[in-house]
Amino acid sequence: MYHFDWQVFLKYIWPPSAFQDPLIRNGLIVTVVVSVVAQALGVVLGLFAALGKMSKFPLFRWISEIYIWYFRGTPLLVQMSLLFFGLGVTHIYDFPDFLVGAVTITGAVQAGILALGINEGAYMAEIVRAGIESIDPGQMEAAKSLGMTYGLAMQRIVLPQAAKVIIPPLGNEFNNMMKTTSLMVVISAGELFYGFEQVNARIFKPFELFIAASLYYLLLTTIWSFIQAKIESSLGERKGVEHSPSMMQRIFAGTSGKGVR
Amino acid sequence: MPTPNVKLTDSNIIVKAEKVNKHFGSLHVLKDIDLEVRKNEVVVIIGPSGSGKSTFLRCINHLEKINSGHIYVNGHMIGYHDRGGKLMEDSERNIARQRAEIGMVFQRFNLFPHLTAIENIIEAPTRVRKTPLEQARADGERLLKRVGLADKRDQYPNQLSGGQQQRVAIARALAMKPNLMLFDEPTSALDPEMIGEVLDVMKELAHEMTMIVVSHEMGFARAAADRIVFVDGGQIIEQASPQEFFASPRSERTRQFLSQILH
Repeated sequence: MYHFDWQVFLKYIWPPSAFQDPLIRNGLIVTVVVSVVAQALGVVLGLFAALGKMSKFPLFRWISEIYIWYFRGTPLLVQMSLLFFGLGVTHIYDFPDFLVGAVTITGAVQAGILALGINEGAYMAEIVRAGIESIDPGQMEAAKSLGMTYGLAMQRIVLPQAAKVIIPPLGNEFNNMMKTTSLMVVISAGELFYGFEQVNARIFKPFELFIAASLYYLLLTTIWSFIQAKIESSLGERKGVEHSPSMMQRIFAGTSGKGVR
Repeated sequence: MPTPNVKLTDSNIIVKAEKVNKHFGSLHVLKDIDLEVRKNEVVVIIGPSGSGKSTFLRCINHLEKINSGHIYVNGHMIGYHDRGGKLMEDSERNIARQRAEIGMVFQRFNLFPHLTAIENIIEAPTRVRKTPLEQARADGERLLKRVGLADKRDQYPNQLSGGQQQRVAIARALAMKPNLMLFDEPTSALDPEMIGEVLDVMKELAHEMTMIVVSHEMGFARAAADRIVFVDGGQIIEQASPQEFFASPRSERTRQFLSQILH
Protein backbone atom coordinates (compact mmCIF):
# COMPACT_ATOMS: atom_id res chain seq x y z
CA MET A 1 0.00 0.00 0.00
CA TYR A 2 1.12 3.51 -0.83
CA HIS A 3 2.53 5.35 2.09
CA PHE A 4 1.08 8.86 2.04
CA ASP A 5 3.76 11.32 3.07
CA TRP A 6 1.87 13.63 5.41
CA GLN A 7 4.94 15.64 6.19
CA VAL A 8 5.47 16.66 2.58
CA PHE A 9 1.77 17.16 2.02
CA LEU A 10 1.28 19.42 5.04
CA LYS A 11 4.42 21.39 4.30
CA TYR A 12 3.17 22.15 0.81
CA ILE A 13 -0.45 22.88 1.54
CA TRP A 14 0.33 25.24 4.39
CA PRO A 15 1.28 28.51 2.68
CA PRO A 16 3.77 29.86 5.28
CA SER A 17 5.86 26.73 5.02
CA ALA A 18 5.29 26.20 1.30
CA PHE A 19 6.32 29.77 0.55
CA GLN A 20 9.72 29.14 2.04
CA ASP A 21 10.32 27.39 -1.22
CA PRO A 22 10.78 30.23 -3.73
CA LEU A 23 9.54 27.96 -6.51
CA ILE A 24 6.10 27.91 -4.90
CA ARG A 25 6.05 31.50 -3.70
CA ASN A 26 7.16 32.96 -7.00
CA GLY A 27 5.02 30.47 -8.84
CA LEU A 28 1.92 31.76 -7.14
CA ILE A 29 2.89 35.35 -7.87
CA VAL A 30 3.57 34.56 -11.53
CA THR A 31 0.24 32.74 -11.85
CA VAL A 32 -1.75 35.64 -10.42
CA VAL A 33 0.12 38.36 -12.30
CA VAL A 34 0.04 36.50 -15.61
CA SER A 35 -3.67 35.80 -15.18
CA VAL A 36 -4.49 39.46 -14.60
CA VAL A 37 -2.29 40.81 -17.38
CA ALA A 38 -3.30 38.16 -19.91
CA GLN A 39 -6.98 38.66 -19.11
CA ALA A 40 -6.60 42.43 -19.52
CA LEU A 41 -4.89 41.86 -22.86
CA GLY A 42 -7.69 39.49 -23.80
CA VAL A 43 -10.35 42.05 -22.98
CA VAL A 44 -8.65 44.73 -25.08
CA LEU A 45 -8.08 42.39 -28.03
CA GLY A 46 -11.60 41.04 -27.65
CA LEU A 47 -13.05 44.53 -27.76
CA PHE A 48 -11.18 45.36 -30.95
CA ALA A 49 -12.02 42.02 -32.52
CA ALA A 50 -15.70 42.49 -31.64
CA LEU A 51 -15.79 45.99 -33.09
CA GLY A 52 -13.87 44.72 -36.11
CA LYS A 53 -16.33 41.92 -36.63
CA MET A 54 -19.21 44.40 -36.58
CA SER A 55 -17.41 46.92 -38.76
CA LYS A 56 -18.83 48.10 -42.04
CA PHE A 57 -15.36 47.76 -43.56
CA PRO A 58 -14.84 44.26 -44.96
CA LEU A 59 -11.09 44.33 -44.25
CA PHE A 60 -11.66 44.75 -40.50
CA ARG A 61 -14.29 42.06 -40.55
CA TRP A 62 -11.97 39.60 -42.28
CA ILE A 63 -9.09 40.29 -39.92
CA SER A 64 -11.35 39.72 -36.94
CA GLU A 65 -12.92 36.61 -38.41
CA ILE A 66 -9.57 35.03 -39.19
CA TYR A 67 -8.20 35.91 -35.78
CA ILE A 68 -11.16 34.39 -33.99
CA TRP A 69 -11.26 31.38 -36.30
CA TYR A 70 -7.59 30.55 -35.83
CA PHE A 71 -7.28 31.10 -32.11
CA ARG A 72 -10.49 29.36 -31.19
CA GLY A 73 -9.85 26.60 -33.67
CA THR A 74 -6.39 25.52 -32.50
CA PRO A 75 -5.18 24.36 -29.07
CA LEU A 76 -3.72 26.94 -26.75
CA LEU A 77 -0.88 24.57 -25.89
CA VAL A 78 0.13 24.49 -29.54
CA GLN A 79 -0.24 28.27 -29.90
CA MET A 80 1.96 28.83 -26.86
CA SER A 81 4.66 26.44 -28.05
CA LEU A 82 4.60 27.95 -31.51
CA LEU A 83 4.94 31.44 -30.10
CA PHE A 84 7.77 30.70 -27.70
CA PHE A 85 9.80 27.97 -29.38
CA GLY A 86 8.74 28.71 -32.95
CA LEU A 87 9.43 32.43 -32.95
CA GLY A 88 12.56 31.83 -30.88
CA VAL A 89 14.14 29.44 -33.34
CA THR A 90 13.43 31.70 -36.31
CA HIS A 91 14.81 34.71 -34.43
CA ILE A 92 11.73 36.67 -35.42
CA TYR A 93 11.50 37.43 -31.74
CA ASP A 94 13.79 35.83 -29.17
CA PHE A 95 11.84 36.76 -26.06
CA PRO A 96 14.75 38.34 -24.22
CA ASP A 97 14.28 38.88 -20.49
CA PHE A 98 13.68 42.46 -19.49
CA LEU A 99 13.58 44.37 -16.26
CA VAL A 100 10.62 46.19 -14.85
CA GLY A 101 11.96 47.99 -11.81
CA ALA A 102 13.69 45.28 -9.80
CA VAL A 103 11.69 42.43 -11.32
CA THR A 104 12.89 40.39 -14.26
CA ILE A 105 10.18 39.48 -16.72
CA THR A 106 11.49 36.36 -18.35
CA GLY A 107 10.94 35.63 -22.00
CA ALA A 108 8.83 32.62 -21.08
CA VAL A 109 6.52 34.75 -18.95
CA GLN A 110 6.18 37.26 -21.81
CA ALA A 111 5.36 34.48 -24.21
CA GLY A 112 2.90 33.01 -21.73
CA ILE A 113 1.11 36.32 -21.29
CA LEU A 114 0.97 36.88 -25.03
CA ALA A 115 -0.27 33.41 -25.85
CA LEU A 116 -2.88 33.40 -23.10
CA GLY A 117 -3.97 36.97 -23.86
CA ILE A 118 -4.21 36.52 -27.60
CA ASN A 119 -6.09 33.27 -27.19
CA GLU A 120 -8.39 34.85 -24.63
CA GLY A 121 -9.09 37.77 -26.95
CA ALA A 122 -10.64 35.39 -29.46
CA TYR A 123 -13.07 34.20 -26.79
CA MET A 124 -13.71 37.65 -25.35
CA ALA A 125 -14.56 38.89 -28.85
CA GLU A 126 -17.71 36.82 -28.88
CA ILE A 127 -18.61 37.85 -25.34
CA VAL A 128 -18.11 41.53 -26.10
CA ARG A 129 -20.01 41.27 -29.35
CA ALA A 130 -22.94 39.56 -27.65
CA GLY A 131 -22.88 42.29 -25.02
CA ILE A 132 -22.94 45.07 -27.59
CA GLU A 133 -25.63 43.37 -29.63
CA SER A 134 -27.82 43.01 -26.55
CA ILE A 135 -28.15 46.80 -26.39
CA ASP A 136 -31.20 48.25 -28.12
CA PRO A 137 -30.11 49.80 -31.45
CA GLY A 138 -32.27 52.78 -30.46
CA GLN A 139 -29.49 53.74 -28.04
CA MET A 140 -26.99 54.16 -30.85
CA GLU A 141 -29.56 56.04 -32.92
CA ALA A 142 -30.37 58.40 -30.08
CA ALA A 143 -26.67 59.05 -29.50
CA LYS A 144 -26.07 59.68 -33.19
CA SER A 145 -29.08 61.97 -33.43
CA LEU A 146 -27.44 64.07 -30.71
CA GLY A 147 -24.40 64.55 -32.91
CA MET A 148 -22.19 61.83 -31.46
CA THR A 149 -19.86 59.91 -33.73
CA TYR A 150 -19.93 56.11 -33.70
CA GLY A 151 -16.82 55.98 -31.53
CA LEU A 152 -18.10 58.43 -28.95
CA ALA A 153 -21.53 56.78 -28.84
CA MET A 154 -19.88 53.38 -28.39
CA GLN A 155 -17.65 54.63 -25.62
CA ARG A 156 -20.18 56.71 -23.70
CA ILE A 157 -23.52 55.06 -24.37
CA VAL A 158 -23.30 51.50 -25.67
CA LEU A 159 -20.25 50.01 -23.94
CA PRO A 160 -21.17 51.17 -20.42
CA GLN A 161 -24.49 49.38 -20.85
CA ALA A 162 -22.94 46.38 -22.54
CA ALA A 163 -20.46 46.08 -19.65
CA LYS A 164 -23.31 44.94 -17.45
CA VAL A 165 -23.86 42.02 -19.80
CA ILE A 166 -20.15 41.39 -20.39
CA ILE A 167 -18.91 41.36 -16.80
CA PRO A 168 -20.47 38.10 -15.57
CA PRO A 169 -19.01 35.95 -18.39
CA LEU A 170 -15.79 37.95 -18.13
CA GLY A 171 -15.54 36.82 -14.51
CA ASN A 172 -15.95 33.23 -15.60
CA GLU A 173 -13.26 33.72 -18.22
CA PHE A 174 -10.88 34.98 -15.56
CA ASN A 175 -11.63 31.98 -13.39
CA ASN A 176 -10.70 29.81 -16.35
CA MET A 177 -7.65 31.90 -17.06
CA MET A 178 -6.14 31.26 -13.65
CA LYS A 179 -6.39 27.53 -14.23
CA THR A 180 -5.22 27.73 -17.82
CA THR A 181 -1.98 29.48 -16.82
CA SER A 182 -0.82 26.00 -15.75
CA LEU A 183 -0.23 25.25 -19.42
CA MET A 184 2.76 27.57 -19.22
CA VAL A 185 4.57 24.64 -17.62
CA VAL A 186 5.54 23.57 -21.15
CA ILE A 187 7.54 26.74 -21.68
CA SER A 188 8.95 26.68 -18.12
CA ALA A 189 7.51 30.07 -17.30
CA GLY A 190 7.86 29.51 -13.56
CA GLU A 191 4.20 29.62 -12.61
CA LEU A 192 2.59 27.69 -9.80
CA PHE A 193 2.30 24.32 -11.49
CA TYR A 194 5.84 24.60 -12.77
CA GLY A 195 6.93 25.20 -9.18
CA PHE A 196 5.27 21.99 -8.01
CA GLU A 197 6.69 20.09 -10.96
CA GLN A 198 10.16 21.24 -10.04
CA VAL A 199 9.69 20.22 -6.43
CA ASN A 200 8.40 16.88 -7.63
CA ALA A 201 11.42 16.42 -9.83
CA ARG A 202 13.50 16.87 -6.71
CA ILE A 203 11.63 14.68 -4.21
CA PHE A 204 9.22 12.64 -6.38
CA LYS A 205 6.00 12.83 -4.39
CA PRO A 206 3.57 13.43 -7.26
CA PHE A 207 0.46 12.35 -5.35
CA GLU A 208 1.01 14.64 -2.36
CA LEU A 209 2.41 17.53 -4.36
CA PHE A 210 -0.20 17.60 -7.09
CA ILE A 211 -3.03 17.43 -4.59
CA ALA A 212 -1.41 20.40 -2.88
CA ALA A 213 -1.05 22.15 -6.25
CA SER A 214 -4.70 21.59 -7.04
CA LEU A 215 -5.69 23.08 -3.67
CA TYR A 216 -3.82 26.30 -4.49
CA TYR A 217 -5.76 26.65 -7.72
CA LEU A 218 -8.95 25.90 -5.83
CA LEU A 219 -8.08 28.63 -3.35
CA LEU A 220 -7.49 31.14 -6.13
CA THR A 221 -10.68 30.37 -8.00
CA THR A 222 -12.71 30.35 -4.78
CA ILE A 223 -11.38 33.74 -3.68
CA TRP A 224 -12.12 35.02 -7.15
CA SER A 225 -15.68 33.73 -7.09
CA PHE A 226 -16.31 35.76 -3.92
CA ILE A 227 -14.86 38.88 -5.52
CA GLN A 228 -16.90 38.23 -8.65
CA ALA A 229 -20.12 37.87 -6.65
CA LYS A 230 -19.39 41.19 -4.94
CA ILE A 231 -18.74 42.94 -8.25
CA GLU A 232 -21.88 41.55 -9.81
CA SER A 233 -24.13 42.37 -6.91
CA SER A 234 -22.86 45.95 -6.77
CA LEU A 235 -23.42 46.15 -10.51
CA GLY A 236 -26.94 44.85 -10.09
CA GLU A 237 -27.78 47.22 -7.26
CA ARG A 238 -26.73 50.28 -9.13
CA LYS A 239 -28.60 49.49 -12.29
CA GLY A 240 -31.64 47.91 -10.71
CA VAL A 241 -31.07 44.43 -12.10
CA GLU A 242 -32.18 41.02 -10.81
CA HIS A 243 -29.95 39.37 -8.25
CA SER A 244 -27.05 37.40 -9.57
CA PRO A 245 -26.61 33.78 -8.47
CA SER A 246 -25.67 33.26 -4.84
CA MET A 247 -22.23 32.29 -3.68
CA MET A 248 -23.17 28.66 -3.15
CA GLN A 249 -24.83 28.43 -6.55
CA ARG A 250 -21.74 29.93 -8.07
CA ILE A 251 -19.25 27.57 -6.47
CA PHE A 252 -21.18 24.38 -6.99
CA ALA A 253 -22.88 25.09 -10.29
CA GLY A 254 -20.96 23.04 -12.86
CA THR A 255 -18.72 25.58 -14.55
CA SER A 256 -19.52 23.99 -17.91
CA GLY A 257 -15.81 23.14 -17.97
CA LYS A 258 -14.21 24.46 -21.06
CA GLY A 259 -11.09 22.69 -19.88
CA VAL A 260 -7.94 22.97 -21.88
CA ARG A 261 -8.52 24.90 -25.05
CA MET B 1 -34.33 74.08 -58.69
CA PRO B 2 -30.84 74.26 -57.22
CA THR B 3 -28.19 71.95 -58.58
CA PRO B 4 -26.92 69.49 -55.99
CA ASN B 5 -23.60 71.14 -55.25
CA VAL B 6 -25.02 74.59 -54.75
CA LYS B 7 -26.02 75.40 -51.22
CA LEU B 8 -29.46 76.78 -50.64
CA THR B 9 -29.22 80.48 -50.20
CA ASP B 10 -32.65 81.10 -48.75
CA SER B 11 -31.92 80.78 -45.06
CA ASN B 12 -35.63 80.63 -44.32
CA ILE B 13 -35.80 77.15 -45.77
CA ILE B 14 -34.80 74.74 -43.02
CA VAL B 15 -35.58 71.48 -44.80
CA LYS B 16 -35.82 70.89 -48.48
CA ALA B 17 -36.38 67.43 -49.92
CA GLU B 18 -36.13 66.91 -53.65
CA LYS B 19 -37.29 63.76 -55.40
CA VAL B 20 -36.30 61.55 -52.47
CA ASN B 21 -36.50 57.83 -53.12
CA LYS B 22 -35.84 55.07 -50.69
CA HIS B 23 -35.97 51.31 -51.09
CA PHE B 24 -35.82 48.58 -48.50
CA GLY B 25 -34.79 45.71 -50.71
CA SER B 26 -37.53 45.39 -53.29
CA LEU B 27 -39.87 47.60 -51.27
CA HIS B 28 -40.12 51.14 -52.60
CA VAL B 29 -40.92 53.05 -49.41
CA LEU B 30 -40.42 56.65 -50.50
CA LYS B 31 -41.38 57.76 -54.00
CA ASP B 32 -40.20 61.11 -55.27
CA ILE B 33 -40.87 62.97 -52.06
CA ASP B 34 -40.67 66.77 -52.42
CA LEU B 35 -41.09 68.84 -49.32
CA GLU B 36 -40.04 72.24 -48.11
CA VAL B 37 -40.22 73.32 -44.49
CA ARG B 38 -39.70 76.95 -43.64
CA LYS B 39 -38.28 78.48 -40.54
CA ASN B 40 -40.58 78.23 -37.50
CA GLU B 41 -43.03 76.16 -39.44
CA VAL B 42 -44.67 73.21 -37.73
CA VAL B 43 -45.38 70.40 -40.15
CA VAL B 44 -47.31 67.34 -39.06
CA ILE B 45 -46.97 64.29 -41.25
CA ILE B 46 -49.83 61.84 -41.03
CA GLY B 47 -50.66 58.69 -42.89
CA PRO B 48 -51.44 55.02 -42.41
CA SER B 49 -48.79 52.81 -40.85
CA GLY B 50 -46.27 51.61 -43.39
CA SER B 51 -46.80 54.70 -45.49
CA GLY B 52 -43.15 55.72 -45.15
CA LYS B 53 -43.67 58.75 -42.94
CA SER B 54 -41.29 57.63 -40.19
CA THR B 55 -38.74 56.52 -42.75
CA PHE B 56 -38.84 59.94 -44.35
CA LEU B 57 -38.34 61.61 -40.98
CA ARG B 58 -35.33 59.38 -40.32
CA CYS B 59 -33.86 60.32 -43.70
CA ILE B 60 -33.88 63.97 -42.66
CA ASN B 61 -31.13 63.35 -40.11
CA HIS B 62 -29.60 60.55 -42.16
CA LEU B 63 -30.47 57.73 -39.78
CA GLU B 64 -31.65 56.16 -43.03
CA LYS B 65 -29.80 56.46 -46.30
CA ILE B 66 -31.67 57.58 -49.35
CA ASN B 67 -31.31 55.95 -52.75
CA SER B 68 -31.85 59.02 -54.85
CA GLY B 69 -32.81 62.66 -54.57
CA HIS B 70 -31.47 65.25 -52.19
CA ILE B 71 -32.29 66.44 -48.72
CA TYR B 72 -31.01 69.79 -47.55
CA VAL B 73 -31.10 70.75 -43.90
CA ASN B 74 -30.11 74.24 -42.83
CA GLY B 75 -28.93 74.91 -46.35
CA HIS B 76 -26.58 71.94 -46.66
CA MET B 77 -27.17 68.57 -48.21
CA ILE B 78 -27.37 66.00 -45.45
CA GLY B 79 -25.44 62.77 -45.48
CA TYR B 80 -23.94 63.23 -48.91
CA HIS B 81 -21.74 65.52 -50.91
CA ASP B 82 -21.59 65.99 -54.59
CA ARG B 83 -18.49 64.80 -56.40
CA GLY B 84 -18.72 65.51 -60.10
CA GLY B 85 -22.45 64.86 -60.23
CA LYS B 86 -22.15 61.69 -58.18
CA LEU B 87 -23.40 61.63 -54.61
CA MET B 88 -20.89 60.28 -52.10
CA GLU B 89 -21.74 59.54 -48.51
CA ASP B 90 -20.33 62.20 -46.22
CA SER B 91 -17.70 61.54 -43.58
CA GLU B 92 -18.99 60.39 -40.23
CA ARG B 93 -17.76 63.57 -38.60
CA ASN B 94 -19.63 65.80 -41.02
CA ILE B 95 -22.81 63.83 -40.60
CA ALA B 96 -22.46 64.04 -36.82
CA ARG B 97 -21.90 67.79 -37.04
CA GLN B 98 -25.09 68.22 -39.03
CA ARG B 99 -27.09 65.96 -36.77
CA ALA B 100 -26.07 68.05 -33.78
CA GLU B 101 -28.26 70.82 -35.22
CA ILE B 102 -31.26 68.52 -35.56
CA GLY B 103 -33.13 67.35 -32.49
CA MET B 104 -34.90 64.04 -32.64
CA VAL B 105 -37.49 62.53 -30.35
CA PHE B 106 -38.24 58.84 -30.72
CA GLN B 107 -41.35 56.80 -30.27
CA ARG B 108 -39.71 54.69 -27.59
CA PHE B 109 -37.86 57.61 -25.93
CA ASN B 110 -34.43 55.96 -26.17
CA LEU B 111 -33.20 57.63 -23.02
CA PHE B 112 -29.84 56.35 -21.83
CA PRO B 113 -30.79 54.01 -18.98
CA HIS B 114 -27.41 54.18 -17.23
CA LEU B 115 -27.62 57.96 -16.86
CA THR B 116 -29.90 60.12 -14.71
CA ALA B 117 -32.28 62.62 -16.25
CA ILE B 118 -29.80 65.48 -15.96
CA GLU B 119 -26.93 63.30 -17.17
CA ASN B 120 -28.98 62.30 -20.20
CA ILE B 121 -29.47 65.96 -20.98
CA ILE B 122 -25.89 67.18 -20.51
CA GLU B 123 -24.16 64.22 -22.17
CA ALA B 124 -24.19 65.57 -25.72
CA PRO B 125 -23.63 69.26 -24.88
CA THR B 126 -20.55 68.42 -22.81
CA ARG B 127 -19.15 65.71 -25.10
CA VAL B 128 -20.09 67.04 -28.52
CA ARG B 129 -20.33 70.79 -28.04
CA LYS B 130 -17.70 70.85 -25.27
CA THR B 131 -19.93 73.08 -23.16
CA PRO B 132 -18.39 73.54 -19.69
CA LEU B 133 -20.03 71.18 -17.21
CA GLU B 134 -21.40 73.90 -14.94
CA GLN B 135 -23.05 75.72 -17.78
CA ALA B 136 -24.42 72.52 -19.31
CA ARG B 137 -25.89 71.62 -15.94
CA ALA B 138 -27.51 75.01 -15.50
CA ASP B 139 -28.95 74.82 -19.02
CA GLY B 140 -30.10 71.28 -18.36
CA GLU B 141 -31.88 72.25 -15.17
CA ARG B 142 -33.63 75.06 -16.96
CA LEU B 143 -34.80 72.61 -19.61
CA LEU B 144 -36.02 70.14 -17.02
CA LYS B 145 -37.98 72.91 -15.41
CA ARG B 146 -39.42 73.86 -18.75
CA VAL B 147 -40.75 70.33 -19.32
CA GLY B 148 -42.03 70.31 -15.75
CA LEU B 149 -39.56 67.81 -14.31
CA ALA B 150 -37.18 69.89 -12.21
CA ASP B 151 -37.70 67.50 -9.30
CA LYS B 152 -36.73 64.42 -11.38
CA ARG B 153 -33.23 65.66 -12.04
CA ASP B 154 -31.42 62.73 -10.44
CA GLN B 155 -33.84 59.96 -11.31
CA TYR B 156 -32.90 57.19 -13.69
CA PRO B 157 -35.16 56.60 -16.70
CA ASN B 158 -36.60 53.40 -15.22
CA GLN B 159 -37.80 55.45 -12.25
CA LEU B 160 -39.86 57.71 -14.51
CA SER B 161 -43.24 57.17 -16.17
CA GLY B 162 -43.42 56.98 -19.95
CA GLY B 163 -44.69 60.54 -20.22
CA GLN B 164 -41.92 61.80 -17.97
CA GLN B 165 -39.31 59.88 -19.95
CA GLN B 166 -40.52 61.39 -23.18
CA ARG B 167 -40.38 64.88 -21.68
CA VAL B 168 -36.79 64.25 -20.56
CA ALA B 169 -36.06 63.03 -24.10
CA ILE B 170 -37.44 66.30 -25.48
CA ALA B 171 -35.28 68.26 -23.03
CA ARG B 172 -32.28 66.17 -24.07
CA ALA B 173 -32.83 67.03 -27.72
CA LEU B 174 -33.35 70.72 -26.93
CA ALA B 175 -30.11 70.84 -24.93
CA MET B 176 -28.17 70.82 -28.19
CA LYS B 177 -30.01 74.01 -29.18
CA PRO B 178 -31.12 72.55 -32.49
CA ASN B 179 -32.87 74.67 -35.05
CA LEU B 180 -35.04 71.80 -36.21
CA MET B 181 -36.89 69.23 -34.14
CA LEU B 182 -38.06 65.90 -35.50
CA PHE B 183 -40.68 63.93 -33.59
CA ASP B 184 -41.18 60.31 -34.59
CA GLU B 185 -44.59 59.28 -33.22
CA PRO B 186 -43.69 60.73 -29.82
CA THR B 187 -46.89 59.63 -28.09
CA SER B 188 -47.55 56.26 -29.72
CA ALA B 189 -45.84 54.26 -26.97
CA LEU B 190 -47.54 56.13 -24.14
CA ASP B 191 -50.49 55.19 -21.98
CA PRO B 192 -53.45 57.42 -22.88
CA GLU B 193 -53.31 59.42 -19.66
CA MET B 194 -49.74 60.50 -20.38
CA ILE B 195 -50.21 61.69 -23.92
CA GLY B 196 -51.51 65.09 -22.85
CA GLU B 197 -48.45 66.09 -20.83
CA VAL B 198 -46.14 65.36 -23.77
CA LEU B 199 -48.36 67.14 -26.29
CA ASP B 200 -48.52 70.18 -23.99
CA VAL B 201 -44.75 70.46 -24.06
CA MET B 202 -44.76 70.09 -27.83
CA LYS B 203 -47.45 72.72 -28.30
CA GLU B 204 -45.42 75.08 -26.18
CA LEU B 205 -42.39 74.41 -28.38
CA ALA B 206 -44.39 74.85 -31.56
CA HIS B 207 -44.57 78.59 -30.99
CA GLU B 208 -40.85 79.03 -31.34
CA MET B 209 -39.32 76.17 -33.30
CA THR B 210 -39.24 74.51 -36.65
CA MET B 211 -40.78 71.12 -36.12
CA ILE B 212 -41.62 68.09 -38.20
CA VAL B 213 -43.89 65.72 -36.35
CA VAL B 214 -45.00 62.28 -37.40
CA SER B 215 -48.08 61.62 -35.33
CA HIS B 216 -51.54 60.18 -35.15
CA GLU B 217 -52.66 62.88 -32.73
CA MET B 218 -55.20 64.80 -34.77
CA GLY B 219 -55.94 67.12 -31.86
CA PHE B 220 -52.32 68.19 -31.79
CA ALA B 221 -52.23 68.55 -35.56
CA ARG B 222 -55.29 70.74 -35.48
CA ALA B 223 -54.00 72.92 -32.67
CA ALA B 224 -50.31 73.25 -33.42
CA ALA B 225 -49.62 72.48 -37.06
CA ASP B 226 -49.10 75.14 -39.69
CA ARG B 227 -49.36 72.49 -42.33
CA ILE B 228 -50.44 68.90 -42.51
CA VAL B 229 -48.80 66.54 -44.96
CA PHE B 230 -50.67 63.37 -45.77
CA VAL B 231 -48.48 60.48 -46.90
CA ASP B 232 -49.68 57.19 -48.27
CA GLY B 233 -47.80 54.46 -50.12
CA GLY B 234 -44.55 56.42 -49.94
CA GLN B 235 -46.00 59.48 -51.66
CA ILE B 236 -47.22 62.84 -50.50
CA ILE B 237 -50.90 62.74 -51.36
CA GLU B 238 -51.79 66.22 -50.25
CA GLN B 239 -50.72 68.99 -47.94
CA ALA B 240 -52.74 71.85 -46.55
CA SER B 241 -53.37 73.96 -43.49
CA PRO B 242 -55.15 72.04 -40.71
CA GLN B 243 -58.44 73.92 -41.25
CA GLU B 244 -58.46 73.14 -44.93
CA PHE B 245 -57.17 69.62 -44.48
CA PHE B 246 -59.79 68.49 -42.02
CA ALA B 247 -62.68 70.50 -43.50
CA SER B 248 -62.22 69.76 -47.16
CA PRO B 249 -59.68 67.08 -47.99
CA ARG B 250 -59.09 66.98 -51.71
CA SER B 251 -58.21 63.37 -52.40
CA GLU B 252 -60.32 60.30 -51.92
CA ARG B 253 -57.53 58.52 -50.03
CA THR B 254 -57.28 61.36 -47.53
CA ARG B 255 -61.01 61.26 -46.96
CA GLN B 256 -60.86 57.52 -46.43
CA PHE B 257 -57.99 57.82 -43.97
CA LEU B 258 -59.68 60.61 -42.04
CA SER B 259 -62.94 58.71 -41.80
CA GLN B 260 -61.02 55.74 -40.36
CA ILE B 261 -59.29 57.71 -37.62
CA LEU B 262 -61.95 60.29 -36.85
CA HIS B 263 -64.90 57.98 -36.33
